[in-house]
Amino acid sequence: MTRLLSSALALTKRLFKIIFSFFHSIGEIVDFFLNCVKYSITEKFYVNIFLKQFLKIGFNSLPVVGLTSIFTGMVLALQSYTGFSRFSAESAIPNVVVLSITRELAPVLAGLMVAGRSGAAIAAEIGTMKVTEQIDALKTLSTNPFNYLIIPRILAGIISLPLLVIVGDIIGVMGGYLICVNLLNFNPTVYLQNTYNFVQFIDVFSGLVKASVFGFLITFMGCYHGFNAKGGAQGVGQSTTYSVVSSSILILLMNYIITSFFFRL
Amino acid sequence: MRKKKIIVKNIYKSFKDKVVLNKLNLDVYESESLSIIGESGSGKSILTRCIVGLLKYDNGSISFGNLNNINTLNDKEKMNYMSKFGILFQNSALLDSLSIRENLKFASKQDSFNKILNEVGLPNSILEKYPSELSVGMQKRVGLARAILKKPEVLILDEPTTGLDPIIARQINLLIKNLVKKNKITTITVTHDMESVYEFADYVAFLKNGIIEWYGNARKINKSRNNSMINFIKGIN
Ligand SMILES: Nc1ncnc2c1ncn2[C@@H]1O[C@H](COP(=O)(O)OP(=O)(O)O)[C@@H](O)[C@H]1O
Ligand SMILES: [Mg+2]
Repeated sequence: MTRLLSSALALTKRLFKIIFSFFHSIGEIVDFFLNCVKYSITEKFYVNIFLKQFLKIGFNSLPVVGLTSIFTGMVLALQSYTGFSRFSAESAIPNVVVLSITRELAPVLAGLMVAGRSGAAIAAEIGTMKVTEQIDALKTLSTNPFNYLIIPRILAGIISLPLLVIVGDIIGVMGGYLICVNLLNFNPTVYLQNTYNFVQFIDVFSGLVKASVFGFLITFMGCYHGFNAKGGAQGVGQSTTYSVVSSSILILLMNYIITSFFFRL
Repeated sequence: MRKKKIIVKNIYKSFKDKVVLNKLNLDVYESESLSIIGESGSGKSILTRCIVGLLKYDNGSISFGNLNNINTLNDKEKMNYMSKFGILFQNSALLDSLSIRENLKFASKQDSFNKILNEVGLPNSILEKYPSELSVGMQKRVGLARAILKKPEVLILDEPTTGLDPIIARQINLLIKNLVKKNKITTITVTHDMESVYEFADYVAFLKNGIIEWYGNARKINKSRNNSMINFIKGIN
């Protein structure tokens, strides 16, 4: 009986510990965010670092985003043909393709790809700087690491993701076009006309809003986990993993939240 | 007449259950070279990080000039405070995505680094190289150049010779001796290397169990009767 009680006690203690550490890390994340806001207002902005990161996150991710988009567009055309041909609604394929790509697939897939690519790289780079005392060195050289390392990266993420997604939108629609025209014997002009007449501003716009939010989540999580890396190489590896996992989950969560927000509009 | 520059009073620092500094007292005097020695893990780096302001202590106070308790400084004041120090970090901590020239620019906006490179015994050709292209000894020299370039009030050297082979370690010790003694810079050196102590320390503080167990003139270190320090010195010789 006492044994049961004591093990129940231990379990509750453990549970409280987990809950406590959960809220503790939420607090730390909020604190980190507020620091970013504060220093971006009160202190220097490093334009060259921002441009460098913009190229790194945006331009260098073009091939990956392009590839994922074109294959997704192609698969989308094929799959919806399978379904729609069963009740002779093939003509709706261009509409489905453009809607799914712009509203959903281009932002989410670009987000996940960039999280794996740039988010991991950011966490690894900043984490290494942390554990080798380079960040401490910056502080003693009158350089605020938030302004020098973190704010330019986050801003680059917020701006470059929507641009990537615009490219992804176009390439994705092209993927659907390629399949429909070459494989399913659609009329090219009709396909494009259909797409163009059907798509609305809000479709593209909601996708770009998502992309911006994802860009923030990816770079913010990369910076946060890198900045809090501890120990040696192992700690850096762990921060990279945390950064990719947390930003991927947050991307999917925020995707739902933003979708339901635009759904009500 | 010795003049106090930094006064560390009763500082206490712990990580969770582990007490690292336990009401430690230490004075650092102007224009003197102080060596802090002690076993690995005894808290030497933590102590210097507290002094520099990179780490907050839990209790006690550190005063510097007319600043009374540096724990209470706000962001701006803290940044100002830190800029009084030139630090050679344990692994040099050069920014590895930048060339040596860009690294040095963090310490001083000047365009020509000929003089400083000459002082630390490096050729000008390394300016366009990256830290990873230099040997560990050369990285230390660059780190040292970066630390003294901003003409700090206090120079901090964290294990300047650890991880170097004996010949390079000797060169670095002599280099530090030249720089520190010639310019009479207030210096705190954390070290394991008794050679460093004999070369350029004026005073020595032995850190153990969270306090300074022995403090005295570097030339009298061998006459000390503190057993744990004698064992420490014997153990590493
Ligand atoms: N961030 C930290 N979290 C927990 N313990 C730490 C941390 N930093 C240092 N320590 C502990 O404090 C002690 C002193 O470390 P340090 O000052 O680096 O030793 P050293 O004298 O070798 O420079 C070590 O035992 C180390 O394990
Ligand atoms: Mg140390």
